Amino acid sequence: MNRGMNNVWSLVLVSAIVYAALAILMGVVPGMVLSRTPPTVGLHPYSVQEQRGRDIYVSEGCEYCHTQNVRPLKQDEVFGRPSTAGDYAYDTPELLGDHRNGPDLTNIGGRQPSKIWQYIHLWEPRSVVHGSIMPRYTWLFAVKPKADLGDEVVPIPSGFGPAQGVVVTTTQSRDLVSYLESLKQVSLTKRTGK
Amino acid sequence: MKSASLVVRDNAEPEDVALFSSFIASATFWLLLTTAVGLLLSFKFPYPDWATSPFLSFGRLRAIHTNGTFYGWASIALSGTAIYVAARTSGIGVSNKWLAWLSLACYNLAAICGTITLDLGINYGDQEYREWVWWVKVIFLLGVLLSGLTVVQTVANRVEREIYISNWYTIGGFVFTPILAIVAIIPAYQVGLGQVAVQGFFMHNAVGMWFTFLALGITYYALPKLLNRPIYSYALGVLGFWTNLVFYPVIGAHHFEFSPLPWWFQTLAIVFSVGMLVPVWAGTANFALTMRARGETVRRSYALPFIVVGVAYYFLGSTQGTVEAFRSLQTIWHFTSFTIGHSHATMYGFITFIAWGGIYALLPRATGKQPSLLATGLHFWFATIGVTAYVIALSIGGTIQGLTWAAGNPFIASVDAAAPFWVARAVAGSLMFLAHIIFAYNVYLMTLAPGRESDHWEPQKPERAATA
Ligand code: HEM
Ligand code: HEM
Repeated sequence: MNRGMNNVWSLVLVSAIVYAALAILMGVVPGMVLSRTPPTVGLHPYSVQEQRGRDIYVSEGCEYCHTQNVRPLKQDEVFGRPSTAGDYAYDTPELLGDHRNGPDLTNIGGRQPSKIWQYIHLWEPRSVVHGSIMPRYTWLFAVKPKADLGDEVVPIPSGFGPAQGVVVTTTQSRDLVSYLESLKQVSLTKRTGK
Repeated sequence: MKSASLVVRDNAEPEDVALFSSFIASATFWLLLTTAVGLLLSFKFPYPDWATSPFLSFGRLRAIHTNGTFYGWASIALSGTAIYVAARTSGIGVSNKWLAWLSLACYNLAAICGTITLDLGINYGDQEYREWVWWVKVIFLLGVLLSGLTVVQTVANRVEREIYISNWYTIGGFVFTPILAIVAIIPAYQVGLGQVAVQGFFMHNAVGMWFTFLALGITYYALPKLLNRPIYSYALGVLGFWTNLVFYPVIGAHHFEFSPLPWWFQTLAIVFSVGMLVPVWAGTANFALTMRARGETVRRSYALPFIVVGVAYYFLGSTQGTVEAFRSLQTIWHFTSFTIGHSHATMYGFITFIAWGGIYALLPRATGKQPSLLATGLHFWFATIGVTAYVIALSIGGTIQGLTWAAGNPFIASVDAAAPFWVARAVAGSLMFLAHIIFAYNVYLMTLAPGRESDHWEPQKPERAATA
């Protein structure tokens, strides 16, 4: 029977070599190759503000409920065209996600172009989608007794706002929403140059 | 679990007992904290407007739950038990104990820093199970290296001739994980889709090359020891070791089926997911045959029922994983709560139950202090019923969710459809959390509680060594 390996150091060495080889083959090499994927034609890098918004998205863990990965399946057609490799060229950290407690957001900028809707929804999702289970992100906003000059007031539906005062946007909510607005799939037909 | 079981005390060195007890006490703390968080998460599904401060928000707490149960609870519990097993099977005390103490300090420090940074919204890009920022991961990696070194040195100094099969597995886990951690930490090849490939690789290697190897190693020790009978087949154990090592690293891409990762790369992962049936069934058969015709012993033991459930979930959860990997079923189940059911069938039903089995098997022998019989029974039944209800609820709920999407209904319809099953999960989760409180009480009885040593001792015939 295979009881040969009685020197513990040879067990350590052999299993380390086998696993390191597999890790390079299945982890590092695919990572290296795919990291060089060129961007889809027409895809733009994020602006500074969009990038700041993306950082908030990452920091608040939106990915745990929202994918950014449209599959080539019938049920995913509502979210846009199937995602392609080049769509993720500027996406580090990647946000493909594994869970759809909420809908896919790959193309949310195209599907929901209203900034105002986004603000209201972030303040209290249930004020616009009855039955939503998304948390509210009230800390991305400020509540003031009354709006100052230049403030962007969010028209919260009655019953969902603060007891008194108005809700205004902050840099954070503006950044996040600018990121969401930037999530628009570029058309693949452009690639042919027609 | 009828009568107080007959337990003989190991003649472990007092320092080793203190070391083992400290690992288990730390692990228990993290179990309580991070499953309290899990419970809060599960109540946020029906009550999303509860606990809405940023520090208690779903997106931040979820990573605290997963990383805390992985690296605080399961890693510390399994490492501590693996070190103790290495000493027992080697017939000597733990070599270089200070390395093990330092390891425990690293593990705890990493879990503390990781929990705090995640709660502040500082993370490594929502990459599941590696959300801790790089320097926290490095502290954890040090913990793994130090525990691993302790185990390897103890086994190297053994008086027994052979390396017992359980040490093959635990040493494997300690060798693979640092390599995996290094692959996961280096950013150079993790840009865009490249990071997706590495993430798929990382996710299943973390569960498959770390927790699975340690838990199997502990089962290979505890089962023969508790049954007083040698493991059914050494050869099956060795077969399981090598097939696990070669197949597991290839299956990562099954986390991203239908994504833009190369199609053949996904297919390869699916094929090897089927190959995984070999180690899973070989291991399960080996354990089942070792237990054959010993139902009465199982019923009388504190520890064996946990191991039986753990082995059953290893079999069920992993086989479920293979089925889940097929493309036809991924179209329905991927992205749904079905996956969450699988995660808990495996990380809870398998890993956590084996950790408990190992603790109830070995801690009383180490300290000479028995847990409460009633409390152990309650712990067992609450946890078993809880996790089973959890998995069943989400398997059904997740399937309905996926079918709702396939039927082309508006998205919110899937939320409404899954809602009752999420409530069932919260109820099941409450039972599980109750079990953890009872377990913590038992850990207290088995370690710090004064005057429990002499109570229950009954004379017993000398045991045969598990390595026989
Ligand atoms: C009282 C017991 C527990 C409860 C109530 C609980 C609840 C939860 C909840 C609500 C989620 C989030 C689900 C989602 O995002 O849809 C979750 C995720 C998770 N939990 Fe637990 N949990 C418990 C114990 C554990 C333990 C002990 C472990 C591991 C040892 C664990 C491992 C995980 C993992 C891996 C995930 C992520 C699953 C995935 O992404 O597929 N949980 N848990
Ligand atoms: C034969 C063995 C196994 C196979 C083939 C398998 C297969 C799979 C598949 C296909 C998924 C992805 C599901 C999806 O995203 O829709 C998955 C997820 C997962 N598996 Fe397994 N599994 C196996 C064993 C295990 C074991 C033993 C563990 C734990 C110790 C485990 C833990 C997990 C976790 C935590 C996830 C969730 C990750 C995520 O959030 O996507 N699996 N598994």
